[in-house]
Amino acid sequence: MKIDRRSFLSFVIGGAAGTALSPLPWKLTDDIAIWSQNWPWTPVPQKGEVSYLNSTCTLCPGGCGILVRKVGERVVKLEGMEGHPVNDGGLCTLGLAGTQLLYGPTRVKTPLKKVNGAWRKISWNAAIAEIVEKLSDLRSKGLPHTVACISGSDRGTVPELFNRFLTVYGSPNFMRTSSIQDSYELTLFLTQGVRAMAGFDVANADFILSFGSGLIEGWESPVYMFRAKSTLRENGGRMDQIEPRLSKTAAKSDKWIAISPGTEGALALGLAHVIIKEKLYNKKFVDTYTSGFEAHKKLVIDGYPPDIVSKITGVDTATITALAKDFARARKPLAICGRGKGYIPGSLQEFLAIHTLNALVGNINQTGGIWAVPEPDYISWPEVEMDKIASNGLQQERVDGAGSKAYPYARYLLGRLPEVINSSQDSPIQVLFVTTANPMYAMPDTQAVAKAFEKIPFVVSFSSFLDETAVNADLILPNHVFLERYEDVPAAHGFPKPIIGLARPVIEPLFNTQHSGDVIIQIANELGGPIADAFPWDSYDACLEETLADKWDALVEDGYWSDEVFSAADWSTAFETDSAKFEFTNEDIESLPRYNPLKAKGDEAHYPLVLIPYDSMRLASGHIGSPPFLIKSVEDYILTANDVLVEVNPATANEYGLKDGKYAFLRTPKGNARVKVRVFDGIMPGLVAIPRGLGHTAFGRFLAGKGVHYNALIGPVEDPASGHDAAWGIRAKLSKT
Amino acid sequence: MEKENSKKFGMVIDLDKCTGCGSCMVACMAENNIPFREDETDKLLSVSWMHVYRLTNVKPFPDTEECYLPRPCQHCEGHHGHSPCVSVCPATATDYDMDTGIVSQIYTRCFGCRYCMAACPYHVRQFNWWDPLWPDGMEKSLNPNVSVRMRGVVEKCSFCIHRYQLAKDQAYMEGRREIEEDEYQTACTQACPAGAITFGDLNNPKHAVYQMVKPDKKNGGKPKNPKAFRLLERLGTNAKVYYLSSREWVRRAGDNYLKTEGQAKHA
Amino acid sequence: MSTNEKVNEVSAETTEQDDSAAGPIILFFIFGLVVSLVIGWVVFPKILYSRKQQPVAFNHALHNELVDEGCESCHFFREDGSYSGVPKLAQCIDCHEEIQGESAEEQKFVEEYVAKEREVPWLVYSRQPDCVFFSHAAHVKLAGMDCVTCHGPIGESESLKVYEENRISGYSRDIWGKNIAGFKRNTWDRMKMDDCAECHRKNNVNQNSVQTHKGGCFVCHR
Repeated sequence: MKIDRRSFLSFVIGGAAGTALSPLPWKLTDDIAIWSQNWPWTPVPQKGEVSYLNSTCTLCPGGCGILVRKVGERVVKLEGMEGHPVNDGGLCTLGLAGTQLLYGPTRVKTPLKKVNGAWRKISWNAAIAEIVEKLSDLRSKGLPHTVACISGSDRGTVPELFNRFLTVYGSPNFMRTSSIQDSYELTLFLTQGVRAMAGFDVANADFILSFGSGLIEGWESPVYMFRAKSTLRENGGRMDQIEPRLSKTAAKSDKWIAISPGTEGALALGLAHVIIKEKLYNKKFVDTYTSGFEAHKKLVIDGYPPDIVSKITGVDTATITALAKDFARARKPLAICGRGKGYIPGSLQEFLAIHTLNALVGNINQTGGIWAVPEPDYISWPEVEMDKIASNGLQQERVDGAGSKAYPYARYLLGRLPEVINSSQDSPIQVLFVTTANPMYAMPDTQAVAKAFEKIPFVVSFSSFLDETAVNADLILPNHVFLERYEDVPAAHGFPKPIIGLARPVIEPLFNTQHSGDVIIQIANELGGPIADAFPWDSYDACLEETLADKWDALVEDGYWSDEVFSAADWSTAFETDSAKFEFTNEDIESLPRYNPLKAKGDEAHYPLVLIPYDSMRLASGHIGSPPFLIKSVEDYILTANDVLVEVNPATANEYGLKDGKYAFLRTPKGNARVKVRVFDGIMPGLVAIPRGLGHTAFGRFLAGKGVHYNALIGPVEDPASGHDAAWGIRAKLSKT
Repeated sequence: MEKENSKKFGMVIDLDKCTGCGSCMVACMAENNIPFREDETDKLLSVSWMHVYRLTNVKPFPDTEECYLPRPCQHCEGHHGHSPCVSVCPATATDYDMDTGIVSQIYTRCFGCRYCMAACPYHVRQFNWWDPLWPDGMEKSLNPNVSVRMRGVVEKCSFCIHRYQLAKDQAYMEGRREIEEDEYQTACTQACPAGAITFGDLNNPKHAVYQMVKPDKKNGGKPKNPKAFRLLERLGTNAKVYYLSSREWVRRAGDNYLKTEGQAKHA
Repeated sequence: MSTNEKVNEVSAETTEQDDSAAGPIILFFIFGLVVSLVIGWVVFPKILYSRKQQPVAFNHALHNELVDEGCESCHFFREDGSYSGVPKLAQCIDCHEEIQGESAEEQKFVEEYVAKEREVPWLVYSRQPDCVFFSHAAHVKLAGMDCVTCHGPIGESESLKVYEENRISGYSRDIWGKNIAGFKRNTWDRMKMDDCAECHRKNNVNQNSVQTHKGGCFVCHR
């Protein structure tokens, strides 16, 4: 039998019929449909038991309590801790994106040593041995004071361990990153005679007068301020924002008062003029609990009448008078200052001027007022025994000049360091430790800072991330990130009560990192002698538990300890000045240069405009770089592709022929950049505004190279009263490309 | 079709309190496994279930005012659940649930035609133009309760429906049939540092959302509270996200008006 | 040969075949039918599924006798209402730190997994696609259903059956059901979405969809 065409067809038809009668086509269709839904390259998160662990966020000094949601051994999400005195369930953008920092690609995974410009992995023992050798060498040469440390904070056990180490080693050069903390501490010290932190009872005030503070843009403890602002609103309170630009805080205030930048202090003195002249001040407080009122009165009555203040500030006289009256007549008025997030210390005289407004209305240490919150005192380690080398080293003047004749009141003047180093032949600092700080990004005039750091022979970074400072260091000793380590968070900035938070390990360290506290203890032990004796603890964790003593159990249980019943000292005992009163002025204040609005650097002829920075909750601008979620949330009118948009008023845009969305060149005495223009009604004419937190060179492909770095365009302006950086902007030129 | 004890989950956002900080966006991203790329500045291509818009009164300096408006999926009910997107979906990939009032999106059913994106008047829907990729190790932070979406599908806010299901599981475990108001809250509500977002059952007079806006059931859910408004109210989408604002220009910005409209009274 | 002749020859042959063709053509049809039926019903299922042995031949029946709370003794609910699923090694170690009996399988388990602290790579017969978020609490705690309704009498088995994995979709044969035609006699014979929907429809559970007037999707998918 031959197979011809017809029989073949017959076979095929039979086959087709049989196939149709079999499950094959139907089952196959179904399976393929299911297969088409398998995307093996799309990750499928593992399921597991869900657990919540309490901890404290350390990404900023806000001190928020967090709940860490874990699934199995993975950290899946950070949420705000409900019932926490600071944040009660809320959390900011950076905290919420915290898991991306833990698992992100910018972690330093092992100690690294720079050899001929390239990173080489090194063991912990070798890294520590190298530091110990350097330090022993310097000590034997009698140069212990050439070792310095830059730390993000000077409170809490870890900064104190660094400080203690420097002390017993023989160096006075422990430096804290500067911020408005410095100015508020000085203000409280000079007027009230107390070494304390400023706390703000915003929630219970009924009129907040903010001199440029980004109350809802990250000023002090961000989430606490958000909550307090909402409470203020619920209670029918009012908030006025004095700022040259319509920031989010200004937009969410009852009134936005545009002011020539840098003249806020003059406005405060002008308000004082009206308040005193109209006798609207709190007589009981001023008469009984203050001194120096007459001198202050003379100053503001003679020097700051509304018409003069109006000329300085650009705020019209009617507004000044009305504002002063409204402020003084409010039941609980509170004046606050420190621009934006408060990363620049600012002018001390400006702080004094604004703080005295609070004194005039008697809202110091009162409900709804500004409180002097005692500095945490739970660290009481035994005095260190110093050898001769250490004593000699400590007698040397601080490199940054803090506490010297020129700057008698400042505790730290990190801002002066680059200039000091750059103006000396050899760097006065031989070894620099950097912990929880990123000075090469966060300090103004990045070029000068880079030059200074270049001159320091040996820079050791303790950063968990490959930030700008770490990239340029000689050795990186990566710390655990906050989700992998214990650490006390000694205060929440701006929170009106003492509170201690505990950050704790919720996950085993992912990489070959070590707690900076342990590293310091180990270095001390290997140096031996009195240095080792000053660190009697086996480990950082042991040190922490011993230090927190009776608070430890509560901290582990709740994640925080707070002094619920705390209230700021009564007027009769609050002031530790010579007069035991609040001092509007005194010998120390008189000895300072008088208030004068600080000018922006640069000459007007070449730079007709003024560049000012602004802060945003969607951009981390401290020592942590924005993780991907944050950058993703940035508005398209701030960043487009890799270009930053700078804001100018339509009038200014017209004058210089600038078009919305078009490129322009931005030049300042310190640098220049290509930017895009955003024509924006919410900014005073003559100004250019640029966001902080962009223009990173480190932190990987999700952040590096986006936008322009404000600090690369500006230089510090030394405040004649304190020595701190008080630059609020710089002269600039914006021209068409 | 609506059953007697069916729920209607909705949200009230107080624009007087909202600070535009973006915590809701980031909380949502972290909760719902939102992918990210190096450049996310083109917001038409950027996937984000929650987006905070900036409104302005369009007045020149110094009378300029701004307001920030967070916009999740509005979970429109339309007429009897025929919300704009549900009506056009040819794949039954998006649907209106009569029991919760939530507009669902089923990624494995979606074939990416994007009709729903065209139909949605609020731009709440986004298309996955790219495979979602996480840098090595970062996929460990993914939430197992939410599907990771694949390239080629549309996605949008789900009112954190998984949290509803988890809350129900917990209730069942404890022998309860119903959950309490605070047991089901969306990630954005929970994270908002200003307390601007309130979430709950609009059918339940005891819930805060109901008390805040007093929805008029007979009138398509229109708010009786004069400070409350919905976006594009007059389209009849019958949205379940209400906004509160004490400023009139903000409330007017929530819909399109003719220039002369509504002015006659004042004139 | 002329062209003409050639044509003739061909046509002659065709005529010849035509006469005797009816039989073989049907034969061919039947042959094709039978072959495809055999392929479709017998060969295809054999090719479609790969057969995998479980890492350890677990004896459900034996364990079931020793525990107090039935299936939930090991496949338990957590306090938050989530379901633990297949036990992790840590649970097994509670009893099997050391070898308990004389079974070779147990010895293998202890030596290979307990001693080495390795999780057992169990092959889960009821594993659903990643887009399915099944709530055990809703079915077991709220509706009071038995495990057997969906999972069958696996608790009575003395060893684990061969795991047949669909080569195309990657899921177990138990999802579609042992019967390749998709027929089922028991509720636990299949675990496809249609089976969930059928039960939901019958009991009027979550029939909330506006589009289909049937089950809403956000019940199991999200």
